[in-house]
Amino acid sequence: MPDRAAHRIAVLLAKHGEELARHVRRMVRDDDAAQDILQDTMIRAHGALARLPAGANTRAWLYRIATNVSLNHLRSRSRERAALRRHAAERDAAADPQVDGQLPSDDGERETLWLSVARLPERQRLALTLRIVDELDYEEIASRLGGTAAGARANVYQATKKLRLGVDPR
Amino acid sequence: MITEQAEVERRAVERIVLGAFGELTGRRSEPLRYAMMDDTPVGVLGLASGGRGLRHLSYVRDEDAFLQRLLEEHGDVPLLRTASLDDVRRALERYFAGKRLDFDIPVDLSDLPAFQQRVLDATARIPAGRVATYSEVAARAGSPRASRAAGNALHVNPVAIVVPCHRVLRADGSLGGYGGGVRIKEWLLAHEGVRPASL
Repeated sequence: MPDRAAHRIAVLLAKHGEELARHVRRMVRDDDAAQDILQDTMIRAHGALARLPAGANTRAWLYRIATNVSLNHLRSRSRERAALRRHAAERDAAADPQVDGQLPSDDGERETLWLSVARLPERQRLALTLRIVDELDYEEIASRLGGTAAGARANVYQATKKLRLGVDPR
Repeated sequence: MITEQAEVERRAVERIVLGAFGELTGRRSEPLRYAMMDDTPVGVLGLASGGRGLRHLSYVRDEDAFLQRLLEEHGDVPLLRTASLDDVRRALERYFAGKRLDFDIPVDLSDLPAFQQRVLDATARIPAGRVATYSEVAARAGSPRASRAAGNALHVNPVAIVVPCHRVLRADGSLGGYGGGVRIKEWLLAHEGVRPASL
């Protein structure tokens, strides 16, 4: 990697690496995956940095990339697990027809939740993940994503309504 | 305990950031931890520390400028923004409030040329409220004929205020130069109750 690129990435990581890593780690609950996602976020960010308009909110933009990459990761992990579950169910069904192959678990429920979150409009998706993953208040969500606290609250409210989540939007 | 959990998270997050840094840049050196102080009487200050003590206390325009400077000087070392420089921050707050004008925090100058280290060590021993001349500092650093070089070594002092290069003046009592600008030097000396002959 040319030095200038390393330099730019070093600045991005210094300023935003910690909060992004925390956000991603809380979403994917896996340190290795979190590092992979942070690297991927940085590479994408670095590639697009030059095209970012002057005055753009770099922080919000990085959160968008990191959240979307994390959701992609969760989606593919969910597909993998579903395949494993089907596979296990078929095998168990062959061995013991009484087992119906349903393996509900916290992880499974989480994955279903993330799949629905991934389908939300972007602003709602980002505000909701910061609310439920990072447990931030609306002022803090607004400071990371841009916009106002009231706007962040409205986005979280809309998102929870769509998902019928028991998340208190206050 | 919540604090314990927060500490586990903090460490995991740091490993992730340093891991990503190493993979992306190919550099795996010890990180520098940095913090900013935005509203001091002498403007914006950038602080950075390695494992062995404070390495930078710099007058900077803003965070980006400070990061650029650190990266240029240290060749893309991993930088972590940190709250763990709180002891330095508190010492500076006490200093600016006039409650305690001397510093008792570890400083790490080991990266610097030996001559500059000696000059800065000699300077660190000038107490608040006192001043010395460039040639006195050069003499205390063991090089009595090197007052010009001592002046230059002080001009690029990486740890301003804590290593009080502002307490070193010209032999005629005039202020001489200052990395952060002569007006800041004047402010610091007045804050410490010193009135150089030239003021």
